[in-house]
Order: sequence, then C-alpha cells, then structure tokens
Amino acid sequence: MPKPSDLLQGTVDLLILKTISREPLHGWAISKRIQQLSDDVLSVQQGSLYPALHRLEHQGWIAADWKDTDLGRSAKFYALTREGRQQLERELESWNRLSSAVRLLLKRA
Amino acid sequence: MTFARLIRIGFHRLRSIFRQGAVDREVSREIAFHVDLLVQEYIAAGMRPEEARRRACQTFGNPALLEEQCRDQRRVSWVRDIKQDVVYGVRTLRRTPGFAVVAAVSLALGIGANAAVFSVLNSALLRPLPFPDAGRLTILRTIDVQGGRQANASLPDYLAWKERARSFDAIEASLVDQRDLGSEENGSPAERIGGALFTPGLFPLLGARPLLGRLPTDDDLTNTRPASVVIISHRLWQRRFASDPNILNRTVRFGAITFSIVGVMAPDFRYPDDGVEYWVPMRLLGRERQASARFYVVVGRLKSAVTVDQAQAELDNIALALAGEAPDIHGGWGARVQPMHEALWGWTVAPLLTLQIATALVLAIACANVAALMLARGSGRTPEIAMRAALGASRGRIVRQLLTESVMLACLGAAMGLFVAWVSLRGLARLTPPLGAMQLTAVSLDARLLAGLAVIAVATGLVFGIVPALSTSGIELMNVANRTSPGAGRSRRVHRLREALVVAQISLALVLLIGSGLLMKSFLRQATRDLNFDPNGVLAFEYRIPGPGYYKPIGTYQGHPYFPVPPLIIASVERVHERLRPVPGIESVAGISLQPVDSPIVPILSLRVEGRAQPRTDAERSWSSARYFLITSDLFATLRTPVIRGRELDARDTAAAPWVAIVNEAMANRFWPGEDPIGKRFRLDVLPEEQVREVVGVVRDIPIRLNQVSGEPIVYASYLQQPSHYRAPWANMHGHMTFMVRSSVDPLSLVPAVRRAVAAVDPDHPIFNIRSVEAALDQSVRARHSYVFVLSVFAVAATLLASVGLYGVTAYAVAQRTREIGIRIVLGAGTRDVIETIGRHVLIVIVAGLGIGIAGSLLLTRLIATQLWTVRPTDPATYIGVSLLLAAVALGACVLPVLRALRVDPILTLHAE
Repeated sequence: MPKPSDLLQGTVDLLILKTISREPLHGWAISKRIQQLSDDVLSVQQGSLYPALHRLEHQGWIAADWKDTDLGRSAKFYALTREGRQQLERELESWNRLSSAVRLLLKRA
Repeated sequence: MTFARLIRIGFHRLRSIFRQGAVDREVSREIAFHVDLLVQEYIAAGMRPEEARRRACQTFGNPALLEEQCRDQRRVSWVRDIKQDVVYGVRTLRRTPGFAVVAAVSLALGIGANAAVFSVLNSALLRPLPFPDAGRLTILRTIDVQGGRQANASLPDYLAWKERARSFDAIEASLVDQRDLGSEENGSPAERIGGALFTPGLFPLLGARPLLGRLPTDDDLTNTRPASVVIISHRLWQRRFASDPNILNRTVRFGAITFSIVGVMAPDFRYPDDGVEYWVPMRLLGRERQASARFYVVVGRLKSAVTVDQAQAELDNIALALAGEAPDIHGGWGARVQPMHEALWGWTVAPLLTLQIATALVLAIACANVAALMLARGSGRTPEIAMRAALGASRGRIVRQLLTESVMLACLGAAMGLFVAWVSLRGLARLTPPLGAMQLTAVSLDARLLAGLAVIAVATGLVFGIVPALSTSGIELMNVANRTSPGAGRSRRVHRLREALVVAQISLALVLLIGSGLLMKSFLRQATRDLNFDPNGVLAFEYRIPGPGYYKPIGTYQGHPYFPVPPLIIASVERVHERLRPVPGIESVAGISLQPVDSPIVPILSLRVEGRAQPRTDAERSWSSARYFLITSDLFATLRTPVIRGRELDARDTAAAPWVAIVNEAMANRFWPGEDPIGKRFRLDVLPEEQVREVVGVVRDIPIRLNQVSGEPIVYASYLQQPSHYRAPWANMHGHMTFMVRSSVDPLSLVPAVRRAVAAVDPDHPIFNIRSVEAALDQSVRARHSYVFVLSVFAVAATLLASVGLYGVTAYAVAQRTREIGIRIVLGAGTRDVIETIGRHVLIVIVAGLGIGIAGSLLLTRLIATQLWTVRPTDPATYIGVSLLLAAVALGACVLPVLRALRVDPILTLHAE
C-alpha cells in the first residue's frame, strides 16, 4: 500500500472545513472521512489534525459540542459556524485559483 | 470580522486563560477517544488487544506533545509566560530584599509625589472653570499706573466700563460682605459668615443656575432697600439647614434684617471665592456712585469674537479718557483685563510648577537609582543569564523577563506611591491663596490620579528597565565561561554608565537642595522675623456690636456715605475693657480695631501733615497716607511693642482731652525724617469733624502683613477720640474691637473667665474668634509655607537617593578592584594609597555632580525668584552651604566601601586567584 501523501500545510484547514460542511463530525471521523473520500490517497496525521481543529475553533470558524456517539461514548463533534462557512467559500476559491494555475503551468511548460 | 465571531474568539481566549485545566482535560479526553477507536480498529483487523494498544500508541505519537501543540494554538501562551516571569521575578526580588526596598521606596517617592502634584495641577490649572463657555469670562481690575499695584474696581470704574466698553456682552460686579447670621429656633447658634453682594445680572452672566429655587429678579430690588432676598451656598444649606428641601422662602436674620431664602446654589458653585456662603443682590445708590474705594470684583463676559488683548486695548482707552474727565477719582489708574481662570488660579502656577519640577527631579533621580541598581544586578547575574541563554531562552525572552521585574518594581513603587501621594495632597491643599483667589480644595485621590499612577509606573518600569536589560542581555557566553576575565571592556563600560548616572543624580539632588534651601531660608527669615510684638501668651478675641444705624447713611463726604457711631458702642467697649482688667491671670489687656498682622483689610486714610504742602495728585495722595487703627490704652504694653519715643495711650487720653496719635517708625521717617516726631501735628482726611492730632509716641513697626518687607506708615488713634460718625467703606471697623489679653498662664485657660467678664457687661454680644495669637500666627506661617516643607522632604529624599547611588558605585568599584588593592598592599601600599586609589574616582564623580548641579541651579532658581522673601536666587551662602552638605553626605556614603577596601586581606585575595 503506498503511503498517503503528506498534506501541504494550509490545505488541512480547507479539508477539515469541507469535510464537516455536511454534518458535524468528531476528530476520528474527520480523519477517516478524508482518507475515504480521497480513496486513501490523502491522510491527515493526528499530529496536525488536532492542533488544526483547535486553531480553527479558537479562530471561530468551527464550533465544538460534546455529544454521544453511536458507540455510547461522548465525543467532541465539530460543526461549521456561519462565519466558518464563509471562510470555507473563500478558501475553496483560493484553492481553485491556485490549482488551476498549477494545472495550467504543468500543461504549458 | 463579524460580531458573533468576535464573541466566540473572546470566549475561547478567556476560557483558555481562566479555565486552563478544563480545556486541557478536554484535549486529553479527545485524544483518548481517538486512541481507543484506533485500538478497536486494530483489534477488528485481527490483532491481540495488548498489541493493538501498543501499536495504536505508536501510530498516534506522543500525546503530551500533541496536547502542547494544541495549547500553542490557543494564542495565550504569553499569559503563561508572564505568570512565569512574575513568579520568577518575585523570587529574585525576595532574594535581594535590600535592593527591592531601596528601589521601590525611591520609586514610591518619585511616582507618588508626581501623581499628587500633577493631579493638583490638573484640577487647578488645566480644568476649565465650572461655568458655561468659561473661556470668555474675565476679571476687570484697576492698576496703579506708577506702582503697578493691582486693585479691584471702584463703583465709578465699574459704571464707566459697563457704560462704555463694547468688548463685552455684559459686565457685572460683586462686593465681599460679612454678616452675623442670627440664631435659629432649632438651636443653631449665631455665627458670622462671609458672603457677597452682587448686581442682579451677575448670575446670568456667569451662566450659573441655582440648584433649588430661583435667581433674584429686578422686582426683588425695587420694593425695599436693601433687597431682602438671599441665595445661599450648598455648603451653608447642608451645614446650617441640614439640606432641608423646604428651605425656599424660609427667613433668616442677618444682623437686624430679615432675609428670605430664594435659592440654593449647586455644590461646585464658588464665586468669587471659597469663603462666600450667601449672595445678596445689591442696588447701586446714587450717593455711592462717587465713592472711590476699589473694592468691587468686576467680571465681564467677552463677546465671542473679541480677544482679551482687544478688550484690554479698549479698557486702556477708557481709562485714559476717565483720567482726563475725573482726575480726582481716576487719575493715575489704569485698567487690566485678566481671564478669570488666571485670576482665580494664577497664584498656583509658581508653587505648583516648582513642585512639579521638583517631583520630576526626584523621579529622575529615583529612575537613575533603580537603573544603576539594575545595572549592578545585571553584572551580578551574568552567569545566571548566560545559563538561561545557553538553555535556549531567546534574547527577547530574557529582556522580557528583566522588564517584568522592572515593571513589578514600578508597580510596587506605585502602590507605596499611593500613600506618598495621599500625604502630599494633604500638604498641597494647605497652600494658601491670596485674597480673591481660589483655594485648592476638593482635590482627592481620584480615578484620574490612579490612572496617572499606573501610567507613570509602567512608563518608569520601561524606561529604567530598558537600558539595564539591553546591556545585560548582550552578554556573550565566552565571557561567562572564562570567569576570571568577565569581559573587561564591557564591565568598564557598564561602570562608566553607572558613574554617569551617579553624576546626574548628584547634580539633580543639588538643584533640588539649593532650590528648597533658598525657599527654606526665605521661609525661616519670614517665620522668625521680628514682628516687634510678642505673641507668646496672648489671647485674642473679637467683640462686636453691630450698630443699629448701620443702614442709615446721614450724609456724604468726598463721595462716601457716612453713618453715625452710636455712643453705646464706645461706652460698651470702655466697660468691657474696664471689666477685663481685674480678671485674675490677666497681666494686661487692650483693644485694637483690627488684628495688627494679616487683617484682610486695613483702612488707608490720607493725611494732611502740618508744615507740608497739600497733596494734589493721586500719587501725592497715596504717598501722604497711612494705615489707621483705633486702639485702647495699654495696647503696646500688652503687645510688648517697644515704644521708642514718647508714651503710649493712657488714662489721660479721654474723649474730652486734646486728640493725639501714636505713629510707627515708618511714619515718623516718612513725614519727619531727621526730626523729633513728638509734638508734630497732622489731620486724618476722613470726615470734617476729624480734629488735628498731635503725635505723642513712636512705636516700632508691626508688619501689616507677615510677608511685608519694609514697614509702611501707621497711625494708632484712641477709640475715644474719633468722630461720632464713620464713613464707608470702613464700616466694620467701628462697632468692632479685637481684644488682646496678655497673661502669665496658658492664654486659652482664661477663656471662661473672659467670657464671663464680657457677658457681665454685655450679655447680648458674645465674643467670638477666640484664639491664641501665637498659635494663629504659627498656623498662618505653616499654611503659607507648607509647600516649602514638602519641597524640603523631596530634597532630602533626593539626597538620600543620590547617596545610595554613590554608595552602590563605590562599593562596586571596590569589589572590582579587590585584587588590585590586594596586590598593592602586598607591594607596600599604605592606607593613604588605598584611599587615593578608590577616592580619586569618587571625588571626580562628586565634583562633577556638584559642578553640574550648581550650573543647573543658577539657571533654574530664577524660576522661584518671585517666591523668595528677601533672599536672592543666587544667595552664595545657600549655594556654598548646601553644596558642602551634599559633598559631606556623598563622602559619607563612600566611607563603608572605602573601609572595606582598607580591610582587604592581600593573602586571601591572592589565594582566591
């Protein structure tokens, strides 16, 4: 199994915001979901996932809530705040600009 | 940033700071949950539980590190750092309590005194007056064109200005007044209070409204005379009427007249000065219009487009025109427009600025001291700081640690400074204003002061922290590793810096010492001046009979209305005097119309001296005039004032005898220089029935005011030999006598006996204002110069601080050169050589400090020249004496370190190498 690529610093925020945009998730589920949705190509290391969650929470983009999981234990679920949703739009836009620019360059160079 | 997000961020920050434990616990719970799920995943993949857990922990990494990384994301680590710095700082300060105490006390003095002086300065000079658009209010005065002496305005001045001046929206006047407030049914005793008469437009001009009731209207003036309505001050309302809400339209008795209270002013309304407790509207009567006494306080509101200078120019022209039209009244007098703020508070500029400079100097010295101490400590802490740097602390982090210490010291200093400020404020509130100006009251330790303290504390912390912190943290590890040569170049530089700081301290301290020395000398001269009477053991009290005819003028003389002196008054005074003589314990007793020193107003009357030309111009008239007191017999024996020629008044000088007078030396010297004044004759130009008086005695000059430098002419006449009328404006003088009682016992113990004796003659008029003359004089001297004392305290503190600085530097120099001294002693150097080695540097520092200090003083003491009484700002005795004193103290501070140098044991020193 090839090792999932390390993520560029900064894209972690985008991935987290996007992942929880549909429903609130806890940390474990976020990392699983990122791995799943990228067909195991991408993985967020725990070492950067939790500090990132913490940072986003303290910047007011996401809000956390302790809720019971299916397994009966309570876990910290993260959800987008209204401002977080706007932030996600902005980050998506800048990501799109960057990736299309990179794609363009790769095609033409 | 949206508001909701702001709130959310704020919430998280606060929670991270104050509920750090809870936040940390949540993080570990979250991590534990993640690890557990990981374990389950591995078990599901077929691992054994222990192996799964081991594997999960491996995959996950170090949870402690992760928690720390999360913590870093919270952006509040600085709070933790500060907490650490503070704990560490407290520990270091406690390890060196001597340093901490000296530094904090220096700062407490500097910060506290500065805050106090500045808050007074602020309330007196920077805050606008409590009137709407107060910047346009001006006080109009007259000024003696030749002498430059200022006076208030006369009625003709006021009327002329009001009629002619175009620069003002309005001009109104008030007049200082005093009345006896009658006793109340509720038992409040009768008392004498100060107030003001005013023209009805005054309050609208000021823009002042009463708290309760109304202002007087013109109607109040038309019915009877004088108007029988009064407005009272908030203070009087509270004190005398217990803040009765139904006060309006209540009647009070002022002397024989009943007034109706129509208004109560707000607490902050003080006009024209603090002593005013009531305001009575006055109507200006035709016959008063010619009176030339300059007693009216005139206030004008400038038109909005007019400047003070323009108004001044206009009044100058009016004054010129008036002098031409009526030279007898206006000749020789100009006019002066002064912004009201300046008129009321201008007197505080000199003392407050002096104090502000002094306290700033103290603060500078304190800062230099603390900087020097920190510098010394920095050298001492070199290994510690190097160690911390080696362990990875960044330079910024170390500087911050040192700054935290400085700011903590400053805060400690500020906390103690609060106490210093409180004491200083009490001292400052006792500064005595001149007549007609505001007193510094109601300045207290308020929020502004506290804010000021905090700002000064932090700024001071930064200032004195930065220099030492920068020079301390710049240490290279190499120097520390090699302990025997601790960066010789740098150490010398630091030492040089410290020496410079001490030179600065000594020179600043000298400036303060010389300044306060001059003021102290002037104060002592004034306090110990020969008053030419002996206040020891003299009791004084006032006895007063308000004349029933007070308000019935029976004619005018030279434009002044005059009133009958009821014979009853003179008879009563005579009987009181007779009755007091035999009271046991009284050695002698006498009366004088006004207290001899520092009476608010002493009449000046013009004289016609026989054998001299009649004065014609205003200047001649003012030269040919004298102060005037009415006295009983035995006055000078009672006061122990030397009678240098002739005799004093005695039983011979009855109403029927030829009129005589006693004059003072200044009068004798002015009118009969080189001649024998006894037998010379003159007439007081006060009323037609005034008779020619013959001089029968000359007494030494008793100063009219404590700060009077040279005596002015005084006439003392018998109260039995006066016209049967008195003339405005000297109305108060005649129903009134200040009795002086000399006793061999404590003067105050005589009070009951004196009261009984007076009551036996006149039960209706109790005596009042009973005081020991000595105590009253002491008090007035103290009040006048309480700030000299405050200044001296600052100067002494500055000297001590500078000495501490010098001690520190010398001790350091000795410590640095212990090895050198040891070697010298081995090589045969004697005591003298050792002293010379250390002393040369000390002497250079002291001499440089003194030199700069003297130069600075020559420049700065000019600023206090106007506050000095008979002392020149360059008084050589003070300069030399104070410099020697400071030099002695400074040398004293070096004795201990030098002794230590002498005790250096060469063997021990060399062994230590």
